[in-house]
Amino acid sequence: MSIRVGIDVGGTFTDFVLLDRRRGRLAKEKYPTTPQDPAVGVLTGLELLLQRQGLSLQEVTQVVHGTTLVANALIERKGARVGLLATAGFRDALEIRREVRFDMYDLGIEFPEPLVPRHLRREVQERLNPYGEVLQALDLEQVREQVLALQAEGVISLAVVLLHSYVNPTHEQRIKAFLHQHFPHLYVSISSEIAPTMGEYERTSTTVANAYVQPLVEQYLRHLQEGLQARGFQGDFFLMSSAGGTMTAETAAQYPVLLLESGPVAGALMSQYLGRLAGVPNLLAFDMGGTTAKGCVIRGGALRKAYSIEVARAYRYKKGSGLPLLIPAVELIEIGAGGGSIASVDALRRLRVGPESAGADPGPACYGRGGTRPTVTDANVLLGYINPEFFLGGEMPLDVEAARQAVQRGVAAPLGIGVTEAALGIHEVANEHMAQAFRLHAAEAGVDIRGHDLVAFGGAGPVHALGVARRLAVRRILVPWGAGVFSAFGLLISPLGFDVAQTALTPLGELSADALEARFAALEGRVLDMLRRARLAPHEVTLARAADLRYQGQGYTVEVPADGLDATDPVRELERRFVQAYTRLYGVAPRDAPLEGVHWKVTGSGPAEPLDLRLAREEAPVAGAPALKGYRDVYLPEAGGFRPCPLYDRARLAPGETVVGPAVVEERESSLVLFTGDVARVDAHFTLVVTPRAS
Amino acid sequence: MLDDEVTLTMQWDRLVSIVDEIFLSLIRTSFSTIVREAYDLCCCIFDRQGLLLAQATQSAPSFIGTLPQTMQHLLRRFPPETLHPGDALITNDPWLGTGHLYDVSVICPVFRGDELVAFTGTVTHLPDIGGLGFSAVAREVYEEGLRIPPMKLAEAGRLNETLLHLIRENVRVPEQTLGDLHANLAANQTGARLLLALMEEYDLKRLDALSAALRTRSEAAMRQEIRRIPDGRYRHQLQLEGFDSAITIACCVEVRGDEVFIDFAGTSPTVPAGVNVPFCYTYAFCAYAIKCLTTPELPNNDGSLRPVHVTAPPGCILNATPPAATGGRHAVGHFVPFAVWGALAQVVPERLAAETGMMNLLNFTGRDLRGRPFANICFSAGGFGARATKDGLHTTMGPSNVAVTSVEALESTTGILVGCKELRQDSGGPGQFRGGLGQRLTFQNRSAWPITVACFGNRTAFPAAGYLGGKPGARREIRIEGKLVHPKGRHLLYPGEQLLLPGQTLTLLDAGGGGFGDPLARPVEAVVADVRAGYVSPEAALRDYGVEVDTTRWQGRRVATRPQG
Repeated sequence: MSIRVGIDVGGTFTDFVLLDRRRGRLAKEKYPTTPQDPAVGVLTGLELLLQRQGLSLQEVTQVVHGTTLVANALIERKGARVGLLATAGFRDALEIRREVRFDMYDLGIEFPEPLVPRHLRREVQERLNPYGEVLQALDLEQVREQVLALQAEGVISLAVVLLHSYVNPTHEQRIKAFLHQHFPHLYVSISSEIAPTMGEYERTSTTVANAYVQPLVEQYLRHLQEGLQARGFQGDFFLMSSAGGTMTAETAAQYPVLLLESGPVAGALMSQYLGRLAGVPNLLAFDMGGTTAKGCVIRGGALRKAYSIEVARAYRYKKGSGLPLLIPAVELIEIGAGGGSIASVDALRRLRVGPESAGADPGPACYGRGGTRPTVTDANVLLGYINPEFFLGGEMPLDVEAARQAVQRGVAAPLGIGVTEAALGIHEVANEHMAQAFRLHAAEAGVDIRGHDLVAFGGAGPVHALGVARRLAVRRILVPWGAGVFSAFGLLISPLGFDVAQTALTPLGELSADALEARFAALEGRVLDMLRRARLAPHEVTLARAADLRYQGQGYTVEVPADGLDATDPVRELERRFVQAYTRLYGVAPRDAPLEGVHWKVTGSGPAEPLDLRLAREEAPVAGAPALKGYRDVYLPEAGGFRPCPLYDRARLAPGETVVGPAVVEERESSLVLFTGDVARVDAHFTLVVTPRAS
Repeated sequence: MLDDEVTLTMQWDRLVSIVDEIFLSLIRTSFSTIVREAYDLCCCIFDRQGLLLAQATQSAPSFIGTLPQTMQHLLRRFPPETLHPGDALITNDPWLGTGHLYDVSVICPVFRGDELVAFTGTVTHLPDIGGLGFSAVAREVYEEGLRIPPMKLAEAGRLNETLLHLIRENVRVPEQTLGDLHANLAANQTGARLLLALMEEYDLKRLDALSAALRTRSEAAMRQEIRRIPDGRYRHQLQLEGFDSAITIACCVEVRGDEVFIDFAGTSPTVPAGVNVPFCYTYAFCAYAIKCLTTPELPNNDGSLRPVHVTAPPGCILNATPPAATGGRHAVGHFVPFAVWGALAQVVPERLAAETGMMNLLNFTGRDLRGRPFANICFSAGGFGARATKDGLHTTMGPSNVAVTSVEALESTTGILVGCKELRQDSGGPGQFRGGLGQRLTFQNRSAWPITVACFGNRTAFPAAGYLGGKPGARREIRIEGKLVHPKGRHLLYPGEQLLLPGQTLTLLDAGGGGFGDPLARPVEAVVADVRAGYVSPEAALRDYGVEVDTTRWQGRRVATRPQG
């Protein structure tokens, strides 16, 4: 029987979740993250967890790991010295970008420094045309000279990006093979493996980012695996990819850029899983922590995938000021900077929340670590939504007076309003921003979110859940047990899986059934090969095909599933599916316009492991013990003031019990705030299912 | 309950998010690369009086200023009481629209029940409008294509089939052109739907109070910032290449209290070529210029336009009258902000950037490698000007703001092979803060057919000026087979010289941005770093910055401390 551990390394804490199928137990643990070498915190915390469970590492059959290492390295610029080898004439793609300003009025904007400075960007003579035909042959001798020069400059990791390599990768592959033979210690990332997609700027950006973090990730994973082995671990070790699949350490070390959203995506997966348990196919996942807030739209039980994301915004967090990365990822929405978002008043006397964040250090004013600017958390403390004596289960008392002063100085005084009104304003504006981000994203996805359920988790999620939910007119709010380590659970339920995609502009009118089949079969071969290396047998694998199509002449595509196509005329059926999807999104579809395929994609995944949240029962005390802890003054907008509200201990609420708002339900890492008329019921999975008061 | 301040904030934010959704809907359904990749478009919401309430974050700076004027022109032609739900208004008249025929403005009234509550509007660059094709060589507007006066594109939900038929028969790519008009309509409808949802949610019968509140705020903030500029009349004059002789733009900016008066008396007359600027476009770029140096971080609306007053003598190139040709009005109009900023650089240089290398536009038409016809508008940016405390950005648009498609996409849709696209050494204007670099591109015709090239270039005779002792950036050059060609020519009319024949190469050197401050004040280490990156050659480091750079140990030494010559 298996014993599996999920480990989620975050900015401040490393979360652990253990599923012991043998004894039917589900346990959680939190341990401070050790930023210098996160492996230390992981190994120490893991030993602590196992010790408390009376287990040894030898007994653990599988560890699944999520980490923010890659995102942090890119944001904090802590990667390796990287060189770039590009087609002659195109080494500057990284710096020329798309040439557009992300803010038309601000004459002071800045773009991120390229990850490779210009003197480390070298050229090689070779050239393909857009059909992949060789116009100029590759000169490997020149490659050798350039790489020797880069090594002399201290380059240890190299990105290779040649024009049109997404159509024909042979030149890049030959360079890679040559370098492995002649420069065995050099890390090499080639663009046709990392991001085989048209567009030299974004492809270069992605390949370079991979090269930049590769040495760091490889070393970290080596330390961690050595540490695990030294402690007797003999099981499988996997990492979570941004796409929500798991990958082997070997793959992760080769394509580390795929780990970018490794941590946050687990929360989205877990929300999807919770929805499945509850029989709810349409969900919004709402994850609000101390430093970030993320959202995700789950539609028909499926997560939306993105193939391009932006990381490390360099100028006032503005969209367009970061590094574009072409990686498959679960589409997560940046919906705010979490509890640490700073509130201020702008020149138009408008209350603003974020994008600046107080982060973990100094953190909100109420943390008492020197923060003086008002944050969302400060507002929540003043409104009575967060219990200053029971933050992190009482381990971290909060300074209410500091919160009051910060809100007074930063918002109330400039607006000429009272502190409570200011705090309420901050709370409401934060809710509105997050609701807006959801709405905008939903519009982009062509999804009407009314009637969805909202899963709220992360430290601050349950505090804002009802406010956000009401603005979105959702049906119910689900607050899972262990909301604070919810993402770590997600690591345990993800099946092993890989995505591959290929860009090939193909007019559907010119595509034969055989060619279509051959194209998907080739992609499936790659996926199966990756899964085989991860020790999965072909019969355990589920494959899914999809194509991104558009009308010829358009620039944006619509994804269409390509499984189970009609055998006699699969291309015609693909067209039919596209027109349906397009009409659903945009209302009308042009008549008789020819279609073309742009991206061809295959996803492969192994069997999913079920996770029974009811196993949590040993951690949750039995019903009957008094769940009502006392009363506290909480600001109720519907009453226009503070009212004493009952306070419940979440750990003492048993399945079937009901809490009627106004009330606060506290657990160690978070509190759920219910307003007048909201009703929460504990379901069999210990999830608090909240029905908001009818508006 | 909620404080009014907070309610206003939330409703205002929502308006901005609604126009951003209009934008998304527009680019996702558009058939034009220039719309969805270059963002040559704009999306706006107006109140029921037609006053601008909000604009999409990613909009063309010029259209933001022209669409509010178009709105008023359309309202004069179609007064509110004559409008019905399901109506859509349209025009591409250069003097009522965006300054040339190639852009279409589409505006839809938004009704709540029977009551007109707002308008949504979009502007997009059309794939084609007939006539000569997109170029700057027409002598009168009649040669440039189909002119659509203010009309109804749809009436009570029914499309104006007569108009659509007329357009269909007058353009080269009817499916795409009509497809894009549908995209405009769909986007406007999206906006209307979301606007009504907002009103529903907050139980707003009308938007009047919200409109007044946010316009008042923006106007007050703008006036407050203008007041911080010392009163006075500031003059500036600049030149740009014309056809027979240089064109002069003369500008006087008068700051009086909390208002700005801009006049262009002394500016050259219109020319018999398609570069004349209708006044609506001149006004738009004046409003943009003042917004940038007063309240760049605040949302734009009608209030931001109020304190800015612009005049230009009729018949001058910045107030061209019909039938002047205006196809390439941007090639001249883009200089308007530099005229305004140049005047104000005397008093508020710290708020400005030196002149930019500006945008270049090449319109290629021909056949691709497989013989299929193509038309491709190829943008490229010069360097952005240096700022008071920062270097200029390399290859960055200004004052226009369009995005450039990848070389891989360009090659895939044309018969062109791009030989290089790289930063152009020594093109950034020297200064304490260096101007951004321009770029070098080559375009080779690899097809078996000739390619027609229409150019809309600038800065070939007059480089981007530096500020406060900063030096100008390098000039732009366009060559075919090594031979300089006219920056605003259309290389079809003069066979043998300006057509890009199979195998021939066009070389483009894009201009650099101007420098800011005395180059001799640039720290030696910064000059060494520039040389190491190849932004500056060792020779230029010595000549322009007085720094001798040791290129083996990467150390530098200042050998000149005073400007020479």
